[in-house]
Amino acid sequence: MATFSKARRANNAVFLGLSVGAAGLGLLALVFILVALLWNGLAGLRPSVFTEMTPPPGAAGGLLNAIYGSVVMTLLGLAIGAPIGLLAGTYMAEHGRYSKLTVVVRFLNDILLSAPSIIIGLFVYEVVVTRIGHFSGIAGALALAILVIPVVARTTEDMLLLVPNQLREAASAMGLPRSHVVLKVAYSAARPGIITGLLLAFARISGETAPLLFTALNNQFWNADITGPTASLPTVIFQFALSPYKDWQQLAWTGALIITATVLILSIAARSLGSTRTAK
Amino acid sequence: MTTVADALTGADASTAAEPAPERAGRPALNKVSVRDLKFFYGDTLAIKGVSLNLEANRVTAFIGPSGCGKSTLLRVLNRMYDLYPRQRAEGEVLLDGQNILDPAMDLNLLRARIGMVFQKPTPFPMSIYENIAFGIRLYEKLPKSELDGRVEKALQGAALWNEVKDKLSASGLSLSGGQQQRLCIARTVALKPDVILLDEPCSALDPISTARVEELIDELKGQYTIAIVTHNMQQAARCSDYTAFMYLGELIEFGDTQRMFTSPTQKQTQQYITGRFG
Amino acid sequence: MTDVAMRDQPARRTMDAGRAAVLSRFRTFDAVFGGLTLAAAVFVLVLLGSVIVSLIIGSMPAFRAFGLGFLTSQVWNPNDDVYGALGAIYGTIVTSVIAMAIAIPVGLGIAVFLSELCPFALRKPIGMAIELLAGIPSIIYGIWGLFIFAPFVQSYVEPPLIAVLGPIPGIGALFQGPPYGIGVLTAGIILGIMVLPFISSVSRDVFATVPPVLKEAGYGLGCTTWEVVKNIVIPFSRTGVIGGVMLALGRALGETMAVTFVIGNAHRISASVLSPGTTISAAIANEFTEAVGDLYTSSLIALGLILFVITFIVLAIARYMLLRIQRRAGV
Repeated sequence: MATFSKARRANNAVFLGLSVGAAGLGLLALVFILVALLWNGLAGLRPSVFTEMTPPPGAAGGLLNAIYGSVVMTLLGLAIGAPIGLLAGTYMAEHGRYSKLTVVVRFLNDILLSAPSIIIGLFVYEVVVTRIGHFSGIAGALALAILVIPVVARTTEDMLLLVPNQLREAASAMGLPRSHVVLKVAYSAARPGIITGLLLAFARISGETAPLLFTALNNQFWNADITGPTASLPTVIFQFALSPYKDWQQLAWTGALIITATVLILSIAARSLGSTRTAK
Repeated sequence: MTTVADALTGADASTAAEPAPERAGRPALNKVSVRDLKFFYGDTLAIKGVSLNLEANRVTAFIGPSGCGKSTLLRVLNRMYDLYPRQRAEGEVLLDGQNILDPAMDLNLLRARIGMVFQKPTPFPMSIYENIAFGIRLYEKLPKSELDGRVEKALQGAALWNEVKDKLSASGLSLSGGQQQRLCIARTVALKPDVILLDEPCSALDPISTARVEELIDELKGQYTIAIVTHNMQQAARCSDYTAFMYLGELIEFGDTQRMFTSPTQKQTQQYITGRFG
Repeated sequence: MTDVAMRDQPARRTMDAGRAAVLSRFRTFDAVFGGLTLAAAVFVLVLLGSVIVSLIIGSMPAFRAFGLGFLTSQVWNPNDDVYGALGAIYGTIVTSVIAMAIAIPVGLGIAVFLSELCPFALRKPIGMAIELLAGIPSIIYGIWGLFIFAPFVQSYVEPPLIAVLGPIPGIGALFQGPPYGIGVLTAGIILGIMVLPFISSVSRDVFATVPPVLKEAGYGLGCTTWEVVKNIVIPFSRTGVIGGVMLALGRALGETMAVTFVIGNAHRISASVLSPGTTISAAIANEFTEAVGDLYTSSLIALGLILFVITFIVLAIARYMLLRIQRRAGV
């Protein structure tokens, strides 16, 4: 009996120790990545990164055109995708809450949410790039917009479903038209959560690379015109990191640091906004 | 249990068809007439053919144990059930002679005429001022000063003005439960309805707030026709002119409140008001 | 009293007429807004439908040229314009299997740690730190994998594996050849790290749906923490955990950038996980813009179609499993 319980206790200690180890391993991986990123990225972080264009092989330069392209395509993607996602989420939670269509849309939206982003790139290439005949920043923005839609639709639906039905009943009982009930009452109750969703979508697309590779392609030069090939930070990192040139590799690290900082700040902001809401 | 049910079917036939009770010396003006109303949740019959009248400028209380259909009846009067699938009503509900169950009825217009206050206070997530102005602004384009006046009047009407006049821009959610409930009443009154439906308006409130709301109900009946659902029999006795007792989806007894509470004609009513079941 | 009520009637009617006019204007807006939300919802369906249709159309030339042999051939030769998907499919599956072999035990361990062992004050920060792993863009994993992790694996992980496991018959076949650092194993490990948060946070969430009374009953019988986890928590939340694992698998199968950097891009099947390979998404990312000729492009799109079908099935299973646990938690 005593030995049995000793064996059980030992077993317990071993497995609990392993689970602590697992958590340690996860944290270690995070630290390993972040330290490498800071170490290598900071080494090349100087003002010229933000003021100069991407250089030809073997020369020094900056990332200005890539940063500009990323910002423009990300914002454009958000501007196109967010309203569609918002409306689709509104349909699922409000107008179509009890319809069969919602069940189908919710399921397929979830599939779209986790579908490989490179597939979206292929789709936009097929539908937009081949029609127009050349790569463009607009095609890149469209690909990003398609990634935004399911994220925003999902969070909007979730957040609207959290709004108590009593609030809708109270608004309807005043004779408010349906659109007012949704736009003025339900939206204002769900606002923090919806903004969290938008920030998460923003964070997700600002680091996306695969869908830009064959939609926006890349551009070594300053190009304010997004109807042509447009550079973006992730694609420049991809190109420069795999090159044999030290200067390019250094710029890739610095670009990686910039992206990660942006994405992590956005997602931490989104999370803390979400948690202040639940704390209430 | 069988005896109760048996007695109920018998009781139903005699009382439900009875017209609204009249007060001696004054002809009743029926604001709302419910005629043989049946209500279904899916296939379940929740109200089994109820007929009664709500008299203008009077308070009618609905009492009965949970699940008796009293809240459901209230939600038929402003067609609240229309928000949900698989709920439907049969029969007639006449508001000033017009059948509100008519599918062609404009629900928004109807609901602007028949206001409703809910069990839990439901201030909108906006400022106290906006909570009230928002409904008014929908229907009327008013200059700011006039709108301010209307908001003030509504808040005074709900006996809330003195407590909130210095913090109109504060969130409606920052008020206490009782204040929130009076804000909801103010919001309803601001739309100038004919009828006000109160669905257990005090069940989430403390005794002092409850007394305030009851006083308010008494003041409001000068201008509005009021229907109140309550679990609290003292409340029904205190603030209503007529009382309807419902049980298992049927109207058991309906009459003058004083008479109902002193000499009920039905055995179930007597048992319920003396606390023997429910 | 009656008089008052009667006198009110005309005023009432005027007010109602005014309101009716206002409301009829809103009715149009209501209909437009409702219509827009419906259109957006339908757009999501159309979008997914068009993705599938465009992939099918795009891959027709490849399937017409190679038939079903496209799926079973590992020849990928742009010079002769002959393509087979097997190498890429194989690489996709093997890297995902390696990723899952790492992420499932570690992810579950983290979930157990966070829900049963961790001091309350630390639960939130540690949980958030682990979830940050999912927030880091995949290109970052790629550059980190290429410059930092692959050399690390090459010097510290692969040599001992070759020395210890290589000579064993059977399993040793997996660990043959020189330690390149770049290869299937490294890609799999990085994928494992990337999808770790999917398993740990979904599992932690479903662990939280286990009714406390069940756990208390277990402890009441004298069970150790591990026994409660093994016999009560995990069986109760199995469906949800499987959902989380499938979600992670869906992510691992389709992940592109992290893999592209470190897998070596070789369209061939080798028994050893130390040798270079490719995955569907890495092949597309690497070759698509350089693909000349319709058949080459079409073959890459066909790879995309295959990937989409695989992930669709995996994700559908994941969603179904998670839906089941949500329904149960909702009851």
